[in-house]
Amino acid sequence: MQHGKYRFIVGFLAAPLALYALFVIWPFIQSIYYSFTDWTGLSPEFGMIGFGNYSRMLDDEIFWKSLQHSLTFAVVLPLVTVGLALFFAFMLNVGGRRRKGAAVAGVRGSSFYKIVYFFPQVLSIAIVALLFQFAYNPNSGAINSVLKGVGLGSVQPDWLGDPDLALICVMVVLVWSTVGFFVVLFSAGMASIPRDFYEAALLDGANRFTTFFRITLPLLWDTVQSGWIYMGILALGAESFAVVQIMTVGPSGGGPDYSTIVLPLYVYQKAFRDGQAAYATTIGVALLLVTLAFAAVVMKLGRRERLEF
Amino acid sequence: MGSTSAQTNEGLGRRDLIKRSAAIGLISVPTMGFLSACASSDSGGNGKVEKGTKSDKNPLGVNESAPLDFVLFDGGFGQQYAKDAIKVYETNYPKATVKFTPTQKITTTLQPRFNGGTPPDLIDNSGAEQMDMGVLVGQKQLADLTPLLDAPSIDDPSKKVRDTLRPGIVEMGQFDGEQCWILNYAYTVYGVWYSQKLLDSLDAKYPETWDEMLAVCEKAKKKGIAAWTYAGKHPYYVPFSLYPMIGKVGGREVLDAIDNLEPKAWEHPAVKACFEAYYELVQKGYILKGTPGLDHIQSQTAWTEGKALFIPNGSWVENEAAKTMPADFGLAVSGPTGLDASDKMPFGTIWAAGGEPFIVPAKAKNAEGGMEQLRIMLSEASSKNFTQSVKSLTALNGGTDGIELSPGLKSGVAALEKAGQNVVNPRLQDWYVALQKEKIGVAGIGEMMAGRATPAETIKKIQKFADEAAKDSSIKHYKH
Amino acid sequence: MKTTDTTPAGVENPGSPAGPGPVITKTKAPAPRKEPKGEGATLNVFSHGILILWAIMVVMPLLWAVMTSFKTDRAIFTSPWSLPDRLHFENWSRAWTEAHMSDYFLNTLLVVGCSLIGTLLFGSMAAYVLARFEFPGNRFIYFLFIGGMSFPIILALVPLFYVMQNMALLNTLHGLILVYIAYSLPFTVFFLTAFFRTLPTSVAEAAFVDGASHTRTFFQVMLPMAKPGLISVGIFNFLGQWNQYLLPTVLNTEPERKVLSQGLVQLAVSQGYKGDWSGLFAGLVMAMLPVLAAYVIFQRQVVAGLTAGAVK
Repeated sequence: MQHGKYRFIVGFLAAPLALYALFVIWPFIQSIYYSFTDWTGLSPEFGMIGFGNYSRMLDDEIFWKSLQHSLTFAVVLPLVTVGLALFFAFMLNVGGRRRKGAAVAGVRGSSFYKIVYFFPQVLSIAIVALLFQFAYNPNSGAINSVLKGVGLGSVQPDWLGDPDLALICVMVVLVWSTVGFFVVLFSAGMASIPRDFYEAALLDGANRFTTFFRITLPLLWDTVQSGWIYMGILALGAESFAVVQIMTVGPSGGGPDYSTIVLPLYVYQKAFRDGQAAYATTIGVALLLVTLAFAAVVMKLGRRERLEF
Repeated sequence: MGSTSAQTNEGLGRRDLIKRSAAIGLISVPTMGFLSACASSDSGGNGKVEKGTKSDKNPLGVNESAPLDFVLFDGGFGQQYAKDAIKVYETNYPKATVKFTPTQKITTTLQPRFNGGTPPDLIDNSGAEQMDMGVLVGQKQLADLTPLLDAPSIDDPSKKVRDTLRPGIVEMGQFDGEQCWILNYAYTVYGVWYSQKLLDSLDAKYPETWDEMLAVCEKAKKKGIAAWTYAGKHPYYVPFSLYPMIGKVGGREVLDAIDNLEPKAWEHPAVKACFEAYYELVQKGYILKGTPGLDHIQSQTAWTEGKALFIPNGSWVENEAAKTMPADFGLAVSGPTGLDASDKMPFGTIWAAGGEPFIVPAKAKNAEGGMEQLRIMLSEASSKNFTQSVKSLTALNGGTDGIELSPGLKSGVAALEKAGQNVVNPRLQDWYVALQKEKIGVAGIGEMMAGRATPAETIKKIQKFADEAAKDSSIKHYKH
Repeated sequence: MKTTDTTPAGVENPGSPAGPGPVITKTKAPAPRKEPKGEGATLNVFSHGILILWAIMVVMPLLWAVMTSFKTDRAIFTSPWSLPDRLHFENWSRAWTEAHMSDYFLNTLLVVGCSLIGTLLFGSMAAYVLARFEFPGNRFIYFLFIGGMSFPIILALVPLFYVMQNMALLNTLHGLILVYIAYSLPFTVFFLTAFFRTLPTSVAEAAFVDGASHTRTFFQVMLPMAKPGLISVGIFNFLGQWNQYLLPTVLNTEPERKVLSQGLVQLAVSQGYKGDWSGLFAGLVMAMLPVLAAYVIFQRQVVAGLTAGAVK
C-alpha cells in the first residue's frame, strides 16, 4: 500500500511538474542567473559582475519608491477588495429575507448580481485601464462631469495628474476590476456551507452579523486566505503593472514625479526601455522575494485548525 | 559560465522526470549564450547570404534571390508606406521575397532575436518600446550605413544618397566617429502649433516677444479660451517649444552644454528666464484647466475643439489629430516666441530633426538588402508617397515639388524656410531617453507646469538629474 | 457592533470610480424591488441599495464602451456622454476586417480550449496529491508551484523563447498551449489544493476501503466531488488565458496564428498613434461579448455544481 501510494504520487505529479519545470522554473532560474551579469538584453554578449546590480539597487532611490508603492498595494488592496467581496457575497448568499421556511436565503436577484459583478473580469486589464482613462480625464471625463453636474464645479481634481491622488486612482481601478472575482469565489465557498449550521444559529437567536462572524467567516477561512494571497500577488504583479503603465503620467507610466511607480513597472522600464535587462532581473528578484514574504506572512497569520464538517 | 550551466543541468538531470526533455531542449540555452559570447570575434559571419554582383542597377551588391526580413514599427505613420516601398523592392528583385512584420512591440518582438544572433535585415526602431540606440551601438549590434550613404541616389545616379538628405540627418545617425548607424526617415518640425482661424478670430497674430505672448494670452482668456494646453501626462512635449526658446534666447551653446551634461548647464540665465516665462503662463491661469491630467490625445482634442490656442507638439500632430480637427482649422506652426530683442537668435528659430529611426543590424543575414530597401525609400517617388499619405516630410531634401501639401505641412515647410540656418536640434531625447522624458520631462517640467514647483526648484532638481546621469557609469555618454 | 468591520468597507468605495453618469442607468434596472416586510427590513433596503449601487458602477463603463463603439472618433472626445448620432456600424466592420478578428477568434478558441482542459487535468492531479498525501517534499513542491504566481512573466520571456525554439515549439499553436498550461498551473494548483482540503475525507476513504485504486478514487470519486471548484478555477483560467497577450506576443508571431488578445492589443496600441478609438471600442466589445456569454452560460453550471456539492 505504501508502495502503491508513492507510485500514485509520482505518477500524478510527473506530467504537471515536468511541464512546469520546463516552461516556468527553468526560464526563471536562467533569468536569476542574468541578475549577476551586465547583460543589456539587446545582444548575446555579457560578463559576470557578481553582486554589482544588487548593490546598485540598494542605492537606487526609484527602486525604494517602487518598493514602497508596491507594499502599499499589497497591504491596502487585499484589505479593501476581500472585505468588500465578503460583504457582497454574504449579502448575496445569506443576506436575503427568509422565505418559505428556508433558514437562510440570498437576496432577490442574487444570481443577477453574481453575473453583473463579474463583468469587469471578462475585460482584459489593459482595456479596463483604457476605459478608466476616459473617466479620469479632468477636462471632460465622467467623474468631473458628474461633479459639475451635482454643483461641485469648483471641485475638479486633476486625478491622475495629481501626485497625491494618482496612486489612489490606480488602486480604485484595481478594486473595481477584481471584486467580482472574489464575490464569485466566496459565493462558491458559502454555498458549500451546510444550511443546518445557519438554522442552528438562527434558532439560538443569532442575527445576521453574528452568523457571519461565527459561522461563515470561520468556515470560509481557507478560501478567504487564498483570496487574500491571490489579491496580494495580483497587486504586486501583473495587474498593477498594466494599470500603472497604461493610465499614469509619463513615457511608460509611473508619474507624476514617480508617485505611482511600482516594482513590476520598474522592471519593465529597465528591461524594455533602458536596455538594462540584467538590472531589471535584479529588481525582479527583489519583487519575487517581496511576494514570497507576503505570502508567508499571510499564511502564518492566518494559520487555523482545519475544519472538517 | 559554461561550467555553471553544466552543473545546473546535472542537478536537474538527477530528477529523472525532466531528464529527457532537459536533454533535448535546455542544455543548449546557456551553452549557446556561452558559445556566442566566445565567438563574437568570429565577426558573426555565419548564416549571412552571399553578396550579389554589383551593377549600376544594384550598387550595393544585393543578392537578388535572398529573402529580406523587415520589421516595422506600426505607429502613427501606419504601414502602408512601407508596403508600397516593398513592392518596388520585389519588382526590382523578382526572385526575392520580403517577410514584412509590422508590430507595436518592437523590443518584445526583437529582443530574443538580437540575443540569438538572428535579427531581421531592416528595423524601424520606434515607438514606446523603442530599443535603446546607445546600447545597440555600444554593443556593436548595428551595421554601418556608410555603403548606403555612398551609393548613388535612385533619382540621380550622379549624386550620392548622402547628398540628397536634409541637413542633420547623417549627423543624427552618428554617435562617435564617422560611421552612421541610424537613418531617420521622417523629418519632424517641432514648435508651437495653433489654429490660424482661432488666432484670427482673436484679432491677433503670432507673438514674437513674450510681452506680445502675454497680451495674446490675455485676449484669449477674456474670450473664455485657454491660451495653452499640453500633453500633461507626457510633459516632455513641453520642451518641443521650450528648448528652442532657450536656444533662441541664449544661443546654441546653451543647448549644447545641456546635451553634453555639463555641470551647471541648466543654471544658465537663459534657461532661468525661459522657465520663468513659462511659469508665468501657469501663474496667470493661461493654461487649460485640468491639463496636467490629460494625455496627448486628450489635450490635442481639447485644442482642436478650440478650448485652447497653443500646443507644443511635433508635425505628426496633423495626422494624429486628423480625426477631431475641423476642416477649416487652419493648422499652423511657428518657432517659439522669444523674450525680447536682446535674444541671441532671431525669431523663426525652430527645432527640426529626423524621426522614425531605421537600423540595419550588424548580424543581419541580408544587410545589403536592408540598405537597398532604404535606398528605395529615399527615392523621390517613395518620399512623396510618404509625405502625401501621412502628412510628414522625409529625410529626403525637397521631395515636395508637385504634390499638394496639407495645411500643417505647408506651414511646416514655410517655418523651415523662415528659419534658414537657424535650426536647432537638442539631442537629449535620443541620447538620454530616461533622463529627458521621465526625469526632466515628468518629474521636472511636468511638476512646474502643474504649478507644484517653482522655476528655481525645478532647475535645481533638473541639474541634479543631469549630474547624476553624467556620473552614471551604466549609461553611455555622448558629446557634441 | 461587529458590523463596523464589514459595512464601512462596503460604503467606502462606491463614491469613487466611474461615477455613474446620467446616461444609461435606466436600461438595466436590476431585479424589481419588493416591499420589504418584517425583521431586517431596513437592513434589506440598505443591502439592496449597496448591491444596486455597485451593480450600476460595474455596468456603466461597459455599457458606455458598447455605446462608444457606435460613435465617431470626434464624438467620442467632444461629447463622450451623449448617445451616438446614429449607429456607426462601420467601426465594427473596420475592426473585424483590419484586426482580423474572425481568424483570431478560431485560433483563440482552439488554444484556450485545449489548454483549459490540460490545465484542469494536470492542475487537479497535482493539487489532489499535494492536498491529500503526506510525503517528503510535499511542501517544497507546493511552494514551488505557488511561487510561480509571484514571478513577473516578462523576466522569463527571453529564456522561454529559447526553450521553445530548441524544442521546435516556437510559432506553433500546440507550443502555445503547453506554455499556457504551464503558466496556469500555479494558480490552479493553489486554488484546487485549498479546495481538495475542504472536501470530506470520509468518502475517499470509503472508496479506498472498497478496493478502488488511488487513481480510480481520484477520477471516479474525488473529481466529481470537486466539480464546483473545477468550474470556478476553470472560469478564472479561461479568462486569464483568453486575455493573455504577453506570451503570444513573443512566442507566436506568425500573422495567421495570432490570437484575439494580440489583435486587441494591436488595436489598443495603435489608437494611441492613429486615434482610431471607435475601432478599438468595437474590437473590444467584440472580444468581450463571447466571454460574457460564456460566463452567463457557465454561471448556471456553477450554481448547479454548487448545489450538487451542498447536498452531499
